[in-house]
Amino acid sequence: MGTTVNGRHGSTTGKETAGGGAGRRPGEHAAPRGGARLTGVRKTYGAGDTEVHALDGVDLELAPGSFTVVLGPSGSGKTTLLNVIGGIEQATAGSIEVAGQEISGRSPVDLAGFRRDHVGFVFQFFNLVPTLTARENVEIIVELTGVGDARRVPDLLAEVGLADRADHFPAQLSGGQQQRVAIARALATDPDLLLADEPTGALDLTTGRQILGALLELHRAGRTVVVVTHNASVAQIADTVVTVVDGKVQSVERNAEPAAAEAVSW
Amino acid sequence: MKISLRKAVRDLARQRTQVTAVGLTVLLGVLMFVAAGGAFRNLSTSYEGTYHRLGFADLLAVGTDPQALADAATSTGAATTRIRTQVEQPMTLSGTRLLGRLIGMPPAGHPAVDDVEVTEGQYLSPDDPDGVLLEKHAAATFGLAPGDTLQVATADGWHTVTVRGVVVSPEYLWPARSRQEVLGDPHSFAVVFASQDQVQAWSGQAPNQALVLLGGASQADVTGALRAAGASDVQTWSDNPSDAALTLDLNGFDTMSKAFPLMFLTAAGVAAYVLLTRRVLSERPTIGTLMAAGARRGRVVWHYVLQGLLIGTTAAVLGTAIGAPLTVLITRVYTTELGIPDTVVTAHPDLTVIGIALGVLVGALGAAVPAVLAARTVPAEAMRNQATLPAPGRWSGVVSRLHRLPVTTRMALRDVVRNPRRTFATMLGSVLGLVLVLASVGMMTSMIAALDTQYGTVQREDASVVVEPGAQDQVAQQVSGLDGVATVESALASQVTVGFDGSTYATSLQGISPDTSMHGFISGGHTIALPSDGVLAGAGLADQLGVAAGDTVTVTDASGRTTDVRLAGLVDEPLGTLLYGTPATVQTLVADPTPVLLVRFDSGLTTAARDGLRGEVTGLDHVLAYTDTRALLTVVDSYLGLFWAFFGVIVALGGVLALAVIQVTMSVNLVERTTELATLRAAGVTVRKAAGVLATENLVAIVAGLPIGLVAGVLAAQGTLGLFGTDMFHLRLSLGWWVLALSALGVVVAAGLSQVPAARAIRRMDVARVVRERVT
Repeated sequence: MGTTVNGRHGSTTGKETAGGGAGRRPGEHAAPRGGARLTGVRKTYGAGDTEVHALDGVDLELAPGSFTVVLGPSGSGKTTLLNVIGGIEQATAGSIEVAGQEISGRSPVDLAGFRRDHVGFVFQFFNLVPTLTARENVEIIVELTGVGDARRVPDLLAEVGLADRADHFPAQLSGGQQQRVAIARALATDPDLLLADEPTGALDLTTGRQILGALLELHRAGRTVVVVTHNASVAQIADTVVTVVDGKVQSVERNAEPAAAEAVSW
Repeated sequence: MKISLRKAVRDLARQRTQVTAVGLTVLLGVLMFVAAGGAFRNLSTSYEGTYHRLGFADLLAVGTDPQALADAATSTGAATTRIRTQVEQPMTLSGTRLLGRLIGMPPAGHPAVDDVEVTEGQYLSPDDPDGVLLEKHAAATFGLAPGDTLQVATADGWHTVTVRGVVVSPEYLWPARSRQEVLGDPHSFAVVFASQDQVQAWSGQAPNQALVLLGGASQADVTGALRAAGASDVQTWSDNPSDAALTLDLNGFDTMSKAFPLMFLTAAGVAAYVLLTRRVLSERPTIGTLMAAGARRGRVVWHYVLQGLLIGTTAAVLGTAIGAPLTVLITRVYTTELGIPDTVVTAHPDLTVIGIALGVLVGALGAAVPAVLAARTVPAEAMRNQATLPAPGRWSGVVSRLHRLPVTTRMALRDVVRNPRRTFATMLGSVLGLVLVLASVGMMTSMIAALDTQYGTVQREDASVVVEPGAQDQVAQQVSGLDGVATVESALASQVTVGFDGSTYATSLQGISPDTSMHGFISGGHTIALPSDGVLAGAGLADQLGVAAGDTVTVTDASGRTTDVRLAGLVDEPLGTLLYGTPATVQTLVADPTPVLLVRFDSGLTTAARDGLRGEVTGLDHVLAYTDTRALLTVVDSYLGLFWAFFGVIVALGGVLALAVIQVTMSVNLVERTTELATLRAAGVTVRKAAGVLATENLVAIVAGLPIGLVAGVLAAQGTLGLFGTDMFHLRLSLGWWVLALSALGVVVAAGLSQVPAARAIRRMDVARVVRERVT
């Protein structure tokens, strides 16, 4: 049995104007958006003797504008949880409502459209196109999805601190810079939710802190941010910490005083 | 089964689409090698079987005293000789008047030299002097069978004879009057064999040919003896127009048995290389682990070479298994269609062995470089499985400046140089496809263009009419008055032998009016006038005799009279190598030239009207023969449907070749780009657009290969045409823009089709799994 968690920003959804945090003072939070509600979600791989329950009856509510860290040991189902929320995997059973939309049972084409409009992903290994510059890696998402504004790309790169690296190729960027390009790419369609799978997994501590700081900034812009990690120390910066074990939500804890990214250590 | 073999088999099964594409290409290459090579050998053996069984003369000497020639040959060691009369004689077969060939034979029994095989009826008999043998092509053309009659012109008028038998002759397996008329109006030529005495009586021509079977004698010695004994011309098998035409056809099989397999096996080798290189790169961690555990380099090399060998060997065995029965089928169909009496089908174990060896070689060579690459894997680096991002080169910087281009286009432009070997392989797919198509189709389009030139620019008459000496003006007037006839011109014709510097060449001498409107003399692209002194010759004479414009050549007529004449120039004519002079010049060179009328019809005349005119003209008194000059065009037109079918098959084959290579390179590209594509899909990019990104890159490589392929294809077509260049054909390459465009389009369509599996793969892609993996 899962636990319902309410975020600290209420339940309002709806997109902010292009530019994200433009016009806000540092530390000020914008109107929250995104949010997700999972009810009785199951995800099963294989069949018969090889059947594996990656998610086994998950009930979970992530408030719009919340910053959630999902913890759990390897193979616990935390990445699967992230994927079903983001619509790149379909649940075997249960209901999933994301940004006010029910996505369970939708066709792959519909899910692609849903992701286009509402979700941004950040992956552990960045997955940048090596033959595109930082700017082009972000622009290509706008070009291919038809969502977002290519003129905003320099602003997005500036938001992640890469204004002066826009014309560099991935091979000319450090791991942290590449991950920041990946974050800017995820923001290209101005998503309601930003889903990050082990975003600091391939980075050293200093670079990892920079990435977490960038994610916190995006959270302050009102987006719902979900970070999956096996690194418990990352949980300090979240307002909500969900622990997944054997496909079940073992605990949901509210963090009354989220720490700054600089406080994280591993 | 050894574990490494088991792994190799399973690895190949996992990539069965790509492996099938490579295997299919090897199979087709080996199949063509075995089938075309085997058919070439079988047909050669079949011809030679017929030649030997019917005693096809090794040498045919022409001269006024053939008995002296035969004696000279015998004294030089020739095994068998025979003399005979051969003469061009007006005939009427089924109402069609033509200039046929009358050949003397011994009536009492089959000769040992240049015998015939009776396929219907009976051989000649001394008891039936008016019974003749009709060559089977003429029998088929005119619908004549034993018991039917035909008329032969004699000094006493038309003489009716009866067909005793229909025969096959080794000299006329392909019915051609001369090397100048290998392709012609089938209704204008017939070969009739009759008793030597009767031939002499009907034509008034004494024996004029000596036929020689060499046995163990030296061809050079006997030829020398014949020339010394007064032979005006000595012809070998290869000089015989029938044998020359069939040899050209056989050369096509020979070329096909080498060139096509070469292209397909090259493509297969490159595709195998691309496929296995990707396999090695994706297995670097495993290889690193094995190397760290002390695996021997040789074993690693062998493991990957084994995969290439499995593909190559399996496909080659299948190719030879299908190729062997196909050889038999091709041989039987071909000999049946051409009416070759002997069909020799033998097994060619050496071709099977070579075919399998080629498959093994292609598999081994394709796998060799990736296998060595695998064996050079540094364990520490491989096990770290560090993704190495390519450093941007100068090209990437150049593309960066193209801000106005869509990002996907910029990406495609950079990706072309991202993996040059893969790009090269993709380009090779389109290059080989185009070479295959253009080399094959260029032959046909050039032949059609040659016919257009021959009958549009050079030979402008619609018909030629042979008339009795002294009746030329009278018949010309009558023919001019017929409805449908526009122009009539008088001309002369005669068979002659041209000699220069010890070499001779038998051809036809045409006497044409200097202000003719019936013939165009083209030299170096310009029209030239017929000289009043000297003769013009087809450019092929330069190759035949080593002669050049300005030289003096010797012309020998049928009576043996020899005259020197200046070769005023060489003319470019697609079909045949003839000699031209004014009527006055011809009369100085030849004793009794044949009077001929060249006739042009009104434009737009229907085939039925032309046939009607043939009947009207041949119905006139003093008309001895009639040739519809454009009959060949009519035949070619009737085969245009077949031409298009052939074009379609070749384009499809070229497409398959391109598809096989491109499909492999594209699917390897897809594997290399999986993470990028999955990331795009995770961001909500549709399958169509994600596939479009990949397709754009592939198409850039393919389009980049098109100009190279077109140039290589044109060069290959020129090379192929060169193989068929003889005194009978002078083909210039003619590839219309539409051929180039359609061929290029065929390759692009094949490339487009190869994107379909890519789109399906992207649709089936497990985005969630892929985005978690580290790029390798």
